[in-house]
Amino acid sequence: MKVVGARLPRYDGVGHVTGRTTYVDDVRLPGMLHAAALRSPHHHARITHLDTSAAEAMAGVHAVITHADVPLLVYGHLSGGGIPGDEPLLAKDHARYRGQPIALVAADTVDIARAACAAIDVGYEELPALFDVRLAFDDDAPVVNDAFGNWYDQYEGNLDVRQIRKGDIEAAFDAADLIVSGVYRTQSQEQVPLETQVCVAVPEPDGRLTIHTCTQAMYFSLGVVCSHLQLPMSQVKMVGGTVGGGFGGKVDTASDTLTALAAQKTERPVKWRWTREEEMLASGNRGPWHMEIIDAVSRDGWILGRKMLTIHDAGAYGRFSVYGVTKHSFHHTGAYTIPNLHFDGYVVFTNRIPTTAMRGYGITGLSTAIEVHAERVARELGMDPYEFRLKNANRVNDTSPNRIPYEDPSTVEVLQSLASATGSELSDDLRAMTRDQRSADMLPDHLAAQIGSGGGH
Amino acid sequence: MELTVNSVSCTVQSPPLTSLLNVLREELDITSPKAGCESGGCGACTVLVDGQPRRSCLTALCTVDGAAVVTVEGLGTPEDLSRVQQAFIHHYAAQCGFCSDGMVVAATAYVNAGGSDDTDAIREALAGHFCRCTGYVKILEAVAAAARGDELDIDSTASSANNTYVTIAGAES
Repeated sequence: MKVVGARLPRYDGVGHVTGRTTYVDDVRLPGMLHAAALRSPHHHARITHLDTSAAEAMAGVHAVITHADVPLLVYGHLSGGGIPGDEPLLAKDHARYRGQPIALVAADTVDIARAACAAIDVGYEELPALFDVRLAFDDDAPVVNDAFGNWYDQYEGNLDVRQIRKGDIEAAFDAADLIVSGVYRTQSQEQVPLETQVCVAVPEPDGRLTIHTCTQAMYFSLGVVCSHLQLPMSQVKMVGGTVGGGFGGKVDTASDTLTALAAQKTERPVKWRWTREEEMLASGNRGPWHMEIIDAVSRDGWILGRKMLTIHDAGAYGRFSVYGVTKHSFHHTGAYTIPNLHFDGYVVFTNRIPTTAMRGYGITGLSTAIEVHAERVARELGMDPYEFRLKNANRVNDTSPNRIPYEDPSTVEVLQSLASATGSELSDDLRAMTRDQRSADMLPDHLAAQIGSGGGH
Repeated sequence: MELTVNSVSCTVQSPPLTSLLNVLREELDITSPKAGCESGGCGACTVLVDGQPRRSCLTALCTVDGAAVVTVEGLGTPEDLSRVQQAFIHHYAAQCGFCSDGMVVAATAYVNAGGSDDTDAIREALAGHFCRCTGYVKILEAVAAAARGDELDIDSTASSANNTYVTIAGAES
C-alpha cells in the first residue's frame, strides 16, 4: 500500500504557506463589481414599501436587486429531496429574522454599494417576534413561516412530527424499577470560519455563468442556484474546493445565488464578501435544541426504554433542519442500546437566523443531553457510571433506533480508553468487555428481541 | 506614498487612511494577507512592517509611508521555501490555509528574533492568531521545529513528537 499508514505531505501545503492558494476573495477579474446587502434591522416585520430608485440613481451603482428580480423567489434547500420550499431569496412582504437580505446592490466599490443600501427607502411595520420554541405551539404565538406555520408538518407527507416507535414502550415502563427524567437545552453557535461567506460570479460570453464558490456542498449549491435562477444546470459552472474553513456553516448556499443574479443583471463579474459582522449576525449557525428524556431503568442498570421529546429551533426557515431532526432521531440513544423507544421530534420555526450544520448536525447537543442523562441515571442507581455505560454500550448486532444493526460499534473500547486516560479504575470484568455480539450474560430478556441477526425488527 | 513590498519599490495611490490590507489586496493585488475580521481580532492579515509583525487591517497607509513591507510571498517561493514555510508543511500546520499566511509571517518574525522552541514563548508570539481547523498543536510543533533548526523533509509529514499528543493546555497523554 502506498497511502495507508504513509506520512504523505499535504497536496496543497506549498500553496498554503507561500500565499499562492487562491481563495474566492483572491479571484481578480477585470471590471469586477462589488456587492453589499440591505438586511432587515428587525427580527420580525411586515415590509410596507420598498423603493430603490434613489439607490439606483447613485453614481457607480450598476444594479439593485430585489425580490422582483428573482425568477423563482421561494425555494428550499431540501426541495430537491421533496421538501416544499419556504424561503424567499430576498424578503418580499415580510422579514422573518434580523439580518434577512432584502436587496443586493452591485457597484464599482463596496463603499458605494453600502451607501446605496443605506439610500434604499424601505418601510417596516414591526411584528411580535417568537424566540422561545416552547411558546411556538400556543394559539396566540406569532406565525413565523409562510409555508409551514410554526412547525414543519409534512413528515411522510402529512405528519407534523418525526417519530420513532420501537419495541413495546409501555411494557418497558411497566417493568421499570426506576424512572429518570431530565430536560436539556443547548444554545446556538456560530461556526466562525476565518473566511466569511464570499462569492464571485462571472457572466461568460456564451451566456453561461461561472461561480467561484466557498460552498462545502457543491451540488446542493448548484441545485439551489439553478432553481432560484431557473437555469438548466448546464448553464452554470461552479468552481470550488478551496474553502477558508466552513465547519458546516458553508453547507447553506449563502451568497452564490444572489451574486449570480447580480452578475446576470449587470453583465459584469460581481464579488460579494460578507463582513465579519454579517457572518456573525446573519449566516446560518448551529441551532438550539430542547430535549426531554425519560428513561425506564432496571435496578441492575439496564435502560429498558426511553421516551424522548425534541424541539429543534430551526430559525425562520427550514433549510436542512428536517434532515437534522431525522438524523437526531436515528441517534437519540447515543452510544447505548435501548430496545423500547418512543421519540417525537419537531422542527420549530422562530424569528432567528435559519440554522444549519455544524460538526455533527443534530448530534452534538444530543450527545451532551444523553451523556449528562446517563450520569444522572447512574447516580440515581448508585452505580459506577462506567459500569452503567459499558453495560448498555452498543455491541455488534445491537440495532439503532431506526433498526440498523451496528456492524462495528466502538463504544466499549472508547469507554475503556477514557477510563485509562483519566486514571479511573475499571474492574477486571469491565476491562475484559469487548464489542462482540452480546453473550448470554449480556443478553437480558429485554434485549434478546432486538438483536439484528434475530430479525426481531 | 512609497512602499517597498517584498523588495519591490511601489508608489501607491490609495488615500492616506486606507488600510494597508486594502492597499496590498486591492491596489497591489497581493492577496496573501486575508480579510478575516478587518478589526484586528484574527491575525490573518498580518504582514511584516520593517521586520515587525503588524495587523495590516488596522494599519493606515499614511503611518507606513516609506516602510519595507513583507508578506508571505516575500518569505520564500515554492522552489526556495523558508525554514518556517518548510516547517509548516512538514508538520502539517496548515489545514484550510486561510490563517496560514498570517501565522507564517508572525512565526518568521519570532524565529528571526532568535525565538526558542519553548511552547509558552511560541504561544505568546502567536497570540491573537486564530485558527479554526488545527487546534494549534501542529502549528506550535512547526514553529518549535523551525526555531530549533530541525531537518525538514517537505515530501513527508512528521510524526507527532515522541508519538505523544500535546494538548493546548500543555498536558501530555
